[in-house]
Amino acid sequence: MGVQKDRVRFNVGGRVFETTATTLANAGRNSLFGAMFDDNWDLQSHAGTTTTEHFIDRNPDCFAVLLDLLRTGELHIPSNVPEKLLYREALFYGLLDHVRAAKWGSFDGNMLRLARSVRGLAPGDGTAIRAGPDGGCCVAHGSMVHVYDWMMEEHPPISLDYQRVNDAIWVDSDNVVISACERLGRDEGGIGLFSSLTGELRYKFRVTHENQAKSYTGGALSFNSDYKLFSSCKGRSNEYGIGVWDQVTGKQVDFFYEPTGWSLGEADKLQWLHGTNCLLVATLFPRKDNCYISLLDFRDKSMVWLWSDIGAPLTDERRVRDAIAMEETRSVCVVNEYEDLGFMDLRRSVGSVRWSSRSRLMKGKMVDEPCYPKLALHEGQLFSSMNDSISVFSGPDWVLTSRLRNSYGGSICDFSIGGDRLFSLHSEENVFDVWETRPSPVM
Amino acid sequence: MSSGQKKRNFQIEAFKHKVVVDPKYAEKTWKILEHAIHEIYNHNASGLSFEELYRNAYNMVLHKFGEKLYSGLVSTMTFHLQTMSKCIEDAHGGSFLEELNIKWSDHNKALQMIRDILMYMDRTFIPSTHKTPVHELGLNLWRDNVIHSDKIQTRLLNTLLELILRERTGEVINRGLMRNIIKMLMDLGPSVYQEDFEKPFLEVSADFYRAESQEFIECSDCGDYLKKAERRLNEEIERVSQYLDAKSEAKITNVVEKEMIANHMLRLVHMENSGLVKMLLDDKFEDLGRMYNLFRRVPNGLSTIRDVMTSHIRDTGKQLVTDPEKSKNPVEFVESLLEKRDKYDKIISLAFSNDKTFQNALNSSFEYFINLNPRSPEYISLFVDDKLRKGLKGVKEEDIEIILDKVMMLFRYLQEKDVFEKYYKQHLAKRLLSGKTVSDDAERSLIVKLKTECGYQFTSKLEGMFTDMKTSQDTMQGFYAAYGAELGNGPTLVVQVLTTGSWPTQSSITCNLPSEMSALCEKFRSYYLGTHTGRRLSWQTNMGTADLRATFGNGQKYELNVSTYQMCVLMLFNNADCLSYREVEQATEIPPSDLKRCLQSLACVKGKNVLRKEPMSKDIGEDDAFSVNDKFTSKLRKVKIGTVVAQKESEPEKQETRQRVEEDRKPQIEAAIVRIMKSRRVLDHNNIIAEVTKQLQSRFLANPGEIKKRIESLIERDFLERDNADRRLYRYLA
Repeated sequence: MGVQKDRVRFNVGGRVFETTATTLANAGRNSLFGAMFDDNWDLQSHAGTTTTEHFIDRNPDCFAVLLDLLRTGELHIPSNVPEKLLYREALFYGLLDHVRAAKWGSFDGNMLRLARSVRGLAPGDGTAIRAGPDGGCCVAHGSMVHVYDWMMEEHPPISLDYQRVNDAIWVDSDNVVISACERLGRDEGGIGLFSSLTGELRYKFRVTHENQAKSYTGGALSFNSDYKLFSSCKGRSNEYGIGVWDQVTGKQVDFFYEPTGWSLGEADKLQWLHGTNCLLVATLFPRKDNCYISLLDFRDKSMVWLWSDIGAPLTDERRVRDAIAMEETRSVCVVNEYEDLGFMDLRRSVGSVRWSSRSRLMKGKMVDEPCYPKLALHEGQLFSSMNDSISVFSGPDWVLTSRLRNSYGGSICDFSIGGDRLFSLHSEENVFDVWETRPSPVM
Repeated sequence: MSSGQKKRNFQIEAFKHKVVVDPKYAEKTWKILEHAIHEIYNHNASGLSFEELYRNAYNMVLHKFGEKLYSGLVSTMTFHLQTMSKCIEDAHGGSFLEELNIKWSDHNKALQMIRDILMYMDRTFIPSTHKTPVHELGLNLWRDNVIHSDKIQTRLLNTLLELILRERTGEVINRGLMRNIIKMLMDLGPSVYQEDFEKPFLEVSADFYRAESQEFIECSDCGDYLKKAERRLNEEIERVSQYLDAKSEAKITNVVEKEMIANHMLRLVHMENSGLVKMLLDDKFEDLGRMYNLFRRVPNGLSTIRDVMTSHIRDTGKQLVTDPEKSKNPVEFVESLLEKRDKYDKIISLAFSNDKTFQNALNSSFEYFINLNPRSPEYISLFVDDKLRKGLKGVKEEDIEIILDKVMMLFRYLQEKDVFEKYYKQHLAKRLLSGKTVSDDAERSLIVKLKTECGYQFTSKLEGMFTDMKTSQDTMQGFYAAYGAELGNGPTLVVQVLTTGSWPTQSSITCNLPSEMSALCEKFRSYYLGTHTGRRLSWQTNMGTADLRATFGNGQKYELNVSTYQMCVLMLFNNADCLSYREVEQATEIPPSDLKRCLQSLACVKGKNVLRKEPMSKDIGEDDAFSVNDKFTSKLRKVKIGTVVAQKESEPEKQETRQRVEEDRKPQIEAAIVRIMKSRRVLDHNNIIAEVTKQLQSRFLANPGEIKKRIESLIERDFLERDNADRRLYRYLA
């Protein structure tokens, strides 16, 4: 080999490092190194001669970690370097995205490890936890929503007129929508869009009925790829149903009024189905005495599929506690309070539940303060929470393949998957867990 | 501290030396950065330390001076852009655009470097305060301070438009510079490009092309005009690809299309001596193709071409089929139809890119005028007859197929397909019986085509004719196997047994055959009836042929190929020297019209006159006398004596065929009415007419008057009744 021409020497906080321009190029143009070695800055001419030294007035220990990241693509943080310090340094160099990408791999429910548990300050039980698209999350407690970025750094909390929060949803990595109860007689509560960074309210989503703005209680939320936001709405008189807004302008574009004998306005769960362009609406026990699950088509304002347990003999085994549509198999999965899974065929216009006893593994081991099971679906894996653990089901027959458990914090009252992470919120303490998949090993 | 000392009480005091950031810190740091920005704009950046500037900007943001940094950036950059703007304004004439371009690239470079220094602010401070990112800010400031400055905005637009005008008039301009400037407008956002350039550009272009097209159309013919329009269109498309936004292509081509084509469409198409009709007449494929491609771009363009073409084909086609000269020769008649069809096929495939709508227009035009001549079915059949008799000799199999396919195409246009069938049957019968057909394969191939086109029933009788021919061959073999020895040297008989109904036979009187023949015929009859019980044979002497060996006075021997009638006449002269017309008529009992024709061909055709007639004249009189022409000579040993027949049907024959066709239609119409009424039970008059016409249109166009007659006949026969309440309704009686 000839003489290496692209050697670069740094003096970082007194420690000398030598590397190559090739290694630094891994940082990308949008980083300190990318800018520093751009032709504009005329530094290239000095490179190659080891006599010039670029001085950087920063922490050398962190520089060593980040340089190693650029060299190998792997992140190894020595015990003497606090994670927060490293993040700060990475932000200085413009390498935070590199750190994030190296920290955890793409999501696989069967390869999760507990990355950390975060203790919050809020009093009382958590209502909901929602994973953000880039690894952050938000936790709803009473009338407040606490927002964390992927470094688990907390941002200013969000509240909608300090009204009780019912649901929260990330529309993108910078914006969170929360729905809250109305305050009688005033234009407070409802639904608002907030900056996740600053916590400021951008705008509220209004409901109008016969050209009059109404105050209402916002319930379960969902949105689609057309930038439409859906929410169940409970108004004072006629405004029961599903409201639809344009996410970009905040204007109401549609309203699906609740038909008599059915329930939409107090739904526990909304789920947009991209394949069929329909919205799944599930209102469940105990919010109502009966369960109502239906699929709405907004194009012609019709319910294209529905199921209810009205009139059926109601035993606890038969009571549906959560539901999720699985478009690939054209079915709806439901769960009862013993974590038995049931399935309904979406191809028939009226559903009926086929309970699967395969998953009945928890029977008879009820804890003191139970939480109702919740379901989630992620890339062909089905997740269900029960007490203090989350079960992972895989394959076409939904076989139980993994179980996530952390004995600290009590039962899991909610969990959410997103940004290649799983967040679970515990009921007893104000604690949530972060589960990640290890980055794929180089060797 | 010594141990002896008294313990002192510790006193905790506030830390006196409070850590305060240097109050001038922000100002100092900003000065450094401001200085750097100045140096960058002054092309003097080599002395700057990137690391230091980056760290300073970082520190300002870290210490909550982001706002100061940002507003400082805005005002410093604005200051420099205003200076630049001044420089650009001062540039003279042609150097204006160049100066603008240089300053733009300077600004871009500076902006990139400033962004590098302020990267940390861009990443953290700007998103959290919802401010405009540095790069976008730089573009906005450039737009507001340079591009939208009073002295630059209109001058820039006018310069660009003038350069484009100069290029349109043939000058070479600096396209690289144009590209850079336009690219700059696009970088500033789609609205800047559209408002500051595209909109006025389209308006000016519309004016330009409106004037130019007016000028062109006054002084060029249609073909030249289209060439010019096409060139202009291509120029504009090229201009877009060279230095405009790709999205402008549709807009500017729209302008050219509207001004140069849409506004002059009718005038172009109807231009005298060079318009569409002239192009069609002269097969100007290139011009036609150009017209098609240009007109396709504008609304109603193609329908304009199509309408003119349609009416032209209809007019010329009508002339063709009603031309009495053409009607004299059916083969020529059909050939000129095919020629016409080929011509337009070629035009449509070469110039009109095989457009389906044009093909449909062509078909409907042909359908229109072919049916204007009621003899078209007959002529087409005669054309086939001609081809299958002799026309296909030495022609390759593929070419035969091509000709047959073309015939089928004409056949499809016919409304009276049943008339064609009638004639076809007649002509086929003649071909088969006279053994004149050239290729069995070609015959069968055409029948298969007819079958696929019109269904089984259309061709079942035609196929029956072929079967008869084959069976007759076998029968004759059987006959000679059985009687061959016994018959010895007598005349040879070939019989074709035709199934009644399959063939277009007319009931005709059997003439008296010569005794030698009638004996042989009787033998065959008994053989045939012996092998097939329950059948009846009757001789069609009007359709046969015979080969005779004749010796004339001078000892010359000839073989004569004649018809059965002619044979009967000639055989009489074995026993007599001279016979009068009446004697011949009496002896043979051939119907007078046939006999006259037969004698005419034996006595009056030069070179074939084996008989002599007294008195010598062209026509046969009832008092004429005939004798053998002893002086008959011929260069050939085999002499074929044709019968004088009108190949084309004579007027009374035509009437007869027509009548038979009408007769045959009656049961078909009745069957259709019954089928419809059986399923519909009750139907009013108009609907019956419509449905019957629709059901029968694959065979012929039913005449409403005739349908009405058939309905009445069906009512008489109690198949239908009129509704008592509504007389227009008919009711089906099961």
